[in-house]
Formats: sequence, C-alpha cells, structure tokens
Amino acid sequence: MEEALELLTKYGEDAKVMAGGQSLIPLLKLRLASFPYVIDISGIAGLNRIEEKGDYLEIGALATVNEIEENYLIRERYRALHEAAGLIADPLVRNRGTIGGNISHGDPSNDLPAVMIALKAKLELSGRNGKRIIDADSFITDSFTTVLSEGEILTKILIPLSTRESGGCYIKQKKNAGDFSVAAVAVNFVLDSSERVKSAGIGLTSVGPRPIRAANAESFLEGKKVNDSVAREAATIIVSESEPSSDFYGTVVYKKKVLLSIAEEAINLSYERAMVR
Amino acid sequence: MSSLRWEDDDLAYDSSVFVRGKGHYVDDIIIPEMLHMTILRSPYARAKILSIKGGLSSRDLGAKMASVGEGAGPNQRGSIEPVFATGYVNYVGEPVAAVFADDRYRSNDLLDSIEVDYDPLKPVVTIDDALNAGPIHNGMTSNVLVESSKGTDFPDPKSPIVLEDTMENDRVSTNPIEPRGIVASYVNDILNVWVSTQSVHSIKDGLVESLKLSPDRVRVMQTDTGGAFGSKGGLYPEYVIASYASMKYGKPVKWIETRREHLSSTNPGRGVRGRVKIFAEQNGRITGVKGDVLVDAGAYGTGIASFSAGFIAMMMTGPYSIEKGYVTGRSVMTNKVPQGPYRGAGRPEASFFIERMLDLLADKLKMDPAEVRLLNMSDKPFTSPLGMKIEAARPFFEGAVRELRYREETKLTRGVGLSFFVLVPAVYPGESARIIVKDHRIKVWLGGNSHGQGHESFVRKLVNEELEVPESVVTLFRGDTGMTREGVGSWGSRSAIVGGAAIVAVCRKIRKDVEKKFGSYSPETLLSGYFDEFINEEQKMSLNSFGANLVTVEIGKLGNVRVKKCIAYYDVGRALNREMVIGQIQGGMAQGIGQTLHEGLYYDHDGQLITSSISDAGVPLAEDLPNFEVKIAEHRSALPHGAKGVGESPTIGVPPALIRAIERASGKRLSKTPVKPDDLIK
Amino acid sequence: MSLVKIKTKINGKEVESEVEPRKLLVHFLREDLGLTGTHVGCDTSNCGACTVLLNGKAVKSCTMLAVQANGKEITTIEGLSKNGELHPIQKAFLEKHGLQCGYCTSGMIMTSFWLLRKNKNPTEEEIRKNLSGNLCRCTGYQSIVESIRYGAELIKEKEEQQEMVVR
Repeated sequence: MEEALELLTKYGEDAKVMAGGQSLIPLLKLRLASFPYVIDISGIAGLNRIEEKGDYLEIGALATVNEIEENYLIRERYRALHEAAGLIADPLVRNRGTIGGNISHGDPSNDLPAVMIALKAKLELSGRNGKRIIDADSFITDSFTTVLSEGEILTKILIPLSTRESGGCYIKQKKNAGDFSVAAVAVNFVLDSSERVKSAGIGLTSVGPRPIRAANAESFLEGKKVNDSVAREAATIIVSESEPSSDFYGTVVYKKKVLLSIAEEAINLSYERAMVR
Repeated sequence: MSSLRWEDDDLAYDSSVFVRGKGHYVDDIIIPEMLHMTILRSPYARAKILSIKGGLSSRDLGAKMASVGEGAGPNQRGSIEPVFATGYVNYVGEPVAAVFADDRYRSNDLLDSIEVDYDPLKPVVTIDDALNAGPIHNGMTSNVLVESSKGTDFPDPKSPIVLEDTMENDRVSTNPIEPRGIVASYVNDILNVWVSTQSVHSIKDGLVESLKLSPDRVRVMQTDTGGAFGSKGGLYPEYVIASYASMKYGKPVKWIETRREHLSSTNPGRGVRGRVKIFAEQNGRITGVKGDVLVDAGAYGTGIASFSAGFIAMMMTGPYSIEKGYVTGRSVMTNKVPQGPYRGAGRPEASFFIERMLDLLADKLKMDPAEVRLLNMSDKPFTSPLGMKIEAARPFFEGAVRELRYREETKLTRGVGLSFFVLVPAVYPGESARIIVKDHRIKVWLGGNSHGQGHESFVRKLVNEELEVPESVVTLFRGDTGMTREGVGSWGSRSAIVGGAAIVAVCRKIRKDVEKKFGSYSPETLLSGYFDEFINEEQKMSLNSFGANLVTVEIGKLGNVRVKKCIAYYDVGRALNREMVIGQIQGGMAQGIGQTLHEGLYYDHDGQLITSSISDAGVPLAEDLPNFEVKIAEHRSALPHGAKGVGESPTIGVPPALIRAIERASGKRLSKTPVKPDDLIK
Repeated sequence: MSLVKIKTKINGKEVESEVEPRKLLVHFLREDLGLTGTHVGCDTSNCGACTVLLNGKAVKSCTMLAVQANGKEITTIEGLSKNGELHPIQKAFLEKHGLQCGYCTSGMIMTSFWLLRKNKNPTEEEIRKNLSGNLCRCTGYQSIVESIRYGAELIKEKEEQQEMVVR
C-alpha cells in the first residue's frame, strides 16, 4: 500500500492505478489511452475483505465483482449490490474486475456507482497525507472524472448496515445480452414502523454523463407508503431527473421509456422486499 | 531463411485436435525472422491524400486488387480498389500504409512514424446519398456501379390487388471468431502463402494478377480456418501487401487482423434495399411482380457488389410460380468498406423481400399466410420470368406446413411466422479434387476449402463408398494450390454438392486406373499400389432445394424479442453426415436470428464507423438464442452422391419467418432488419 | 523497453521468464511459451477465445498483463488432458459436436471446466448465462450447451468410478 502511494506520488499524472484491469487494459490495448506508468495495486494484501463492522458493511476496493456476487452476506442483505454484481459484463470479467475499479473508472455505464448512491455508501480514499471519507454520490463528477486527487486511490467502500426494515434491487435493461445497458436503476428503501419509506436511495446508470442520484424522487417517496400510483409518479420524477442522450444504444425517447418502466418496477420490488421481514 | 515446420498430419483437417488446443491457425505460425505487419488505415470516409511520409505505401506498391471469390465479376473502370489508397481514401479503414517490425507490439508502435496529410471531402454515406450525389470516383459518371434487369418489362395490369413496399436489410459484419490473417514467405523464388480462407485458389489467382507473378511461383496453403461465412473467399489488400513485403524484405511477413479492423475493413454482407410491387387477384393468386433492388456496394467494386444486384433480382419470385416479372438491380457506390458475400450472399435478401410481400398480401386479403403461399406454387417444375428454374414446389411445402406444426402453433400463440424459400446453390463451375494413394493411405485434396463445416467427414464417407476402403485410411488435407492445380472455393452452399461430386469422380477415375493396371479392382490392390489422380469436375446443372421455417416469439414490454421456437424443415438432399447437417442448420439459424434482431454495422453522417466491437456488431450470445428444432427431408439430387445445398438455408429462411412472428405479436408492419427494441417498445 | 522477471506456474510447471511489462498474458502464453491453443478473437474483451484459468478461475488472458500473472498459477487448454487422456469435458465437446471451426473451442472448454467445478449439475439457463463471456459464431450454441451437460455427466461418472476404486 505504502509502495503504491509512493509510486503514485512520484509519477503524479504520468501514473494510472490498475486494479483488475478489466476496463483499463482494453483501453491500453486499443491504444485509446496510454500512461507512462501503470501501477498495479491488485497485489495489496487485505484490500479485498468483505465484513460488517460497526455501522457499516466494509468492502475492500480489491474485492472482485465475483466475490461480491457470491458473498452470502451481500446476497442475503444487500440485494441491489448482489444483483448489480451478477449483471456486470460476463462471468470471466467478473472474476478479475474489482468493485473499486468499477467505481473509480468513472464510466457512467458502470453499474456499481449507482448502487453506491442507492445504498448511501461512503468511500474511503487514501493518499500520502492520510485518508478521507466522502459520500459516494459526490465521487464521480463527470464522464470518467472523479474527485480522486493526484496520488490518491479508492481503498474501501462503506455501506450503512442493512436492517430488517430495508429492501432494494437493481434492474438493468440491455438491448442484447452482450451490450452495455440502455438504462439501469438501483433502489434501496428503509421503512419506518408504519411501513412508510423512511429513507429512499435511488441511483441511475447509463442515463447521463455520470451516475445520477434521483434526489427529487427520493424526497417524493420519503414519508409515503408505496402503491402502484405512487410508484408510477416516482418513476416519472426519476425520468425527469435523467439526462440520457441518443446514441448507439437508442434514442432519448426510447431510453426514457425504458427508464420509466424499470424505475417503476424497481420501486415496487424494493418496497415489497422491504415489507418482507 | 527457414520455413514452416508443420508435420504432414498437421496439414490435415482434424477437428479432434481443437478440443486439445492443437489446431493450426494462421496466427499460430512462427517462423524465424518473421516480421509483423501493421496497417495504417484511413481515418476519413473520403479525403484527398496530400502527402504520406514513412511506411510502405502506394509509392512503393501501386498495384490494384483483382476481383476473385464468390460471384466475382469484371470490375468497372474507375471502381477497382487499389491495394494501397492512391490519391484519395474512400472509406474509414482503407489501407494507406504499412509498417513492419519483429514483434506485433513494436510494429504497432511504428504507426506513429507515418505522417499523412489529408484534405477531407464530403463523403457519400447512404444509398440515397449515392443516388443523389456526384460520383465518388473520378472517371465515373454516377455512383451506379452496375445496372441490370431480369425479366421483361410489362405495363401494370389492372389487378384488383396491387401492393408495394420498400424493404431493407442493414449491413452485417460476418464476424468469424478467428479474424483474417496471412503469412507470406518468399523462399527460392517461390512465394509461399499460408492463409485463413475458403479458397486457396482465389487467393492465388488474386496474388498472381495483382502482383503480376507467374502462377508457378506462387503456392497458397490453407491453415485451419476459424469460420469465414463468405468473408474469407477472396483477395484483400493486406494479402497483396504482405506478399509484396515478404519479397521486398526477404523475410516472412505475418499479418493478423484485429477485430476493429475486421469491422472497418473486411467486406460485410447485406446492405440491400428492395422496392417491390405485386399484382394479385382477389383469390390470392399473384400474377406479376416488379421490383427495384439497390445494393450498397461500398467504395469499390471489389466484393460481390457488381454481381449481387442482378443475382437478387433473379431470385425475386422465390419458390412461387408467378407468370410475369421484371426486376431491376443497381449497385451503388458509397464511402464505406466494399460489400461482400455473407452466408447467403443475395439469397436471404431476395427471400426477405418476396416473403414480406406474401405476408402483406395475406394480411390484405385476410387470408392464411400458408394458404396464400401454397396457392402460388406449382405442382410442376417452373421457370420463372426472371430466369430461375424451380422444381415442383407445392408437394414439399404442403408437407412443410405439417412438419412445422404450423396449424397447431397458430392456435397456441399470436406471434407465429412462417417462411418458404428455394435455395439456389452456387454449383457452377464445379470443383476440383485430387487423390494420392500411397503407403496404404489415401490422401485427398479439394479445390474448395472447409472453414469449419467438416468437409473431411463427407470426403471419408464418399471415398469409403466409392473405393470400398475403410474411412480410417482416408485423410483430407487443407487446401493447397501446390496439390490442386486449379479449383474454386467453399461458398454458396456448394461444398457437399460440387466437392462431393468431384470426390466421386476422382474415385471413379482411380478405380479405372486400378482396373486398367491389374485387370480388376479390389481395395487391397488399390491400397498396395501408388496412384495419383486429379480432376476438375465441371457442373452446370441447375439445382435447388426447398426449405421452410417457423418461428414463434414473445415481445417483452420494453420491446425486447424473445425467440421461443425456431423450427426448420429443409430438403438437404442426401445427408452425408446427419449430425453435421444439423449443426450447420443450427448455426445458420443463430445467424438468421442475429441479422433480424441484433446485428448491424453503422456509420454516422461523416462516414465514421460507430460499431466498435464484436458486441456492438450484435453477434448473438448463448443467452440470446433458443434451442432449435431441425427436421430434414432427404430428396436426393440428380448427382451420383445425391447431395444438395444446406449451408445458407437457415440465413435465407429464418429472417422472414422471425420478422413475421414479431409483426404478428406486435401488430406493426415491419420492413427492415434488424428490428430493434426501439421499434417495438410501447 | 526493460524486461521484468516473472515466476509463474503454467499447466503445473514452474516457469521463470522475462517479459515486457506491456505484454498481454495471452501473447506471453502463445508467443513466449508456444501455447497456441489459447486464441485471440477480439480486442474488446468480449469473445472469450483467450479464456484460461488463473488460480482456478476462468479469466480472459487478453485482459491481463503477463506481469500480473507473477506468482500465480495458470491452466490453459493444453493443461487439461492428463497423460494424453482427454478430460471428460474435452471428450464431451468432441462427441456432442460442440464445435465447428474450433476457434472458440479452447475458451468454451475452459469456461465450462470452471463452471462445472463450481456447479456440478447446471441447468440449461445457468449454462447459457455462464457462457455470456464466450462467443461462438458457428454452432448457435445448442451443441455447446449439450456438450457441457454431457460433460457434467461424464465427470460425475468418472468421480463415481474413482470412489469405487478407493473403496
């Protein structure tokens, strides 16, 4: 770890951190990007632990997507994360790709940033001058751009402990099985004792230049019981908060239709899951 | 200079080695001192080249491409592709220069050493652009590369039913999992070429013509070929460049295509639009068909563009007995990679157009689509007004309706599509074969070369039948122009037909040799002797085979189509290896589904390719596909071994059946492949 | 470019090599070690023709640098058969025609091998989902799915036989 941070500081902008390399190596290979130095952090010991500790589920940044997908605790209690992990790329990529890399790459079509937003996660960033902890939704600022400063790496993901009153899901729509998503939505609810939404977390993938927190929809839902019409209205708000652009995967109109549908489904499903105690 | 050290048996087709990772693909070749070639490609769809500094380019090699391969015809003046872009670039991905180094990474590094100045011009990107804009090449008067017509024009009859529609199949990248590749090595005045191909003879003829070499100084040998589907049938600029460089530098040269290069620079298929008008009676009988076919030829007349327009026009009546027909075909030039054959090569387009019209007619008359089809068929052989000979069709298709359980399926679900077609295989001009009997082994070479279809299986079977020897002594070797002095290629559903016929003929020749030498024939006398025979078995007969498909679908609320059932009933002639026939059909059906739902090759307004990966190109995954049901009918052909064509049947039959199923399930008239979720989402 | 020393265990054998840091694992295997059974079919980490096992897990060797394999164990298609005898999954692909052109086959078999290690009796749906990192253009996948199911049976039979011998 020390060595990695030292190298990062030494080479500054000339260096790029690589974890699983499943996003970076394709770019290097096609010579779409090049860096004088690539610092492989995958060998750093202890950075792949997954454990509940204090108020958080702590996930080391080097935990592979496959490890997350197959983790019993995550499967049982952090459904949005479990489901998103199982939908990333393909099983072979998931065997190498890491949660830290998926988040740090800053790709608006990567799935885990939206999940972090929905789960209201915090991220631990480490640099030569120590560690800082930030909210996950402030991490990615634009396409492929994060708040990581020179010489800093994402080391840990902190997800507030799941309670019996919470429930969530991740729904991803693709054109073909092998594609990036047209749109995807992560939802997580915590209910109060009267089955109203106490806290809502909604993150969106592939419908803007960066992962988006649907803040208006969250506040709309908070304090409400979810039924079909509430879910539909919330989904409409979510669509109004999205910023998709027409591209290879579809037109804006199509993407918004898709988002409306999967958002409604995700809200209903998450509420159902939160209700099952 | 050393050359390749592969043992004799390494040169044979043997699919059992693949499960051990012991195939012999072109990228597996390592020869000492070998140079890796990397091509600098045009970043513009159309531009004037102001200057090139560095690398090997048109200054060094001003050769032009030869047109060889499936359906290759004489090139039109002004549209012949130069090996290296000369004066102008005309598509994104066109070779501009080449660099060489002792390893692939360093060769790639050298791209930075080339400087090219371009003056970008406004490209012609779509078929409509091509018709409206001035010619992309100097010396041409318009962008129409060829214009041909089939049948005789007739005044529009006063029919009670007149229907017209414009239909389109987007371009599809062939995407074999092994990209293209070549190794050229010039030793002792002989240019040795190893290549992943469907036809060593096409490649040889092309190199001889392009580089003006003497035929006896060129030997082209096939490596294991990891799929081709039409795109590895002919010559490409990189083959000429690698061959030239190996002679110039006196070292072996290897070039292996990347997937991105495959998407930008290997001839894709389809890219065809058809406007079709049918005239019919109230009872559903079609009395006439008129059509206009437009083929997006791309930037040069290299592929099959000069041939496909007329070929599609000729097949426009499908298996139906339509009395009057007149169809024109034009291939037009655009600033995109030249179009080429892709599994079916014109046949799927023609079938798509006529089948879409049959469904439109059925809907108009509120008739059953199967009924409308059957009543337009004959019990007798029929020669269409467009020049296609069709065998008696109705009996087969009446059987097909039953075999496909069409009546039952239409009761179960709304989303059912049916298609009927006739496959016209590329029989002409036949194929060559050679047999050497030596040391109790029978070694066989074919002029046309397997790219995964398992030719070795039918060869062993036919040799066993003709010469009464065990299959175990028979070995089919990969294509080698050093072993067959002429030959054609493996495409157009022809291999079992013409390759098989050549095997039968050469076996019979050898049998006569034995009889002549020993008075009578026995397998033992054959195997204990030495015999060597070559034959170029000409075939001119008109052959066709019928097929029908049924597809059922469900459409999700987000417009995604799920194929539930995909059933084929094809006449394959005598099935020489049932399992392999079924494998061919399953694989072809996957490609038919791919074209209809997923696959396309797209350019933006500037002619930039926006399809950037094999995944973007839509090659289906296991999850995208259903289990297929394959039923085969075996009506022998008139050939001695009874074979008919099969390879292209599924890409002809599946798209029209599938799009009809989607049309029924969605209630929307559909005229274009691929059908995207955007088109179907509510 | 300066070379880096790496130590790997490949198909059970310790290998010490010097590689360029930028060299992909697949090129190291194919060109430095001559293990040409691992193929390259794309450049965007989609096709899976390059699949190998890295410490027992199926990964794409085109999306890994050779230097990242330092200290790790790699199994390629060449390492599956023992003493010349095909592994049951290899037999299954042969018998059930799970291949045509053969180019995707090594990757398909490596992924299948890994799948059947973690799931001895996968359903058709599980098989198809687990193949989403491996493309085949020839077969339409049906015979590949059948091969994997048959491979699962053969593995089970073999294990039962071995148990009998042990008893």
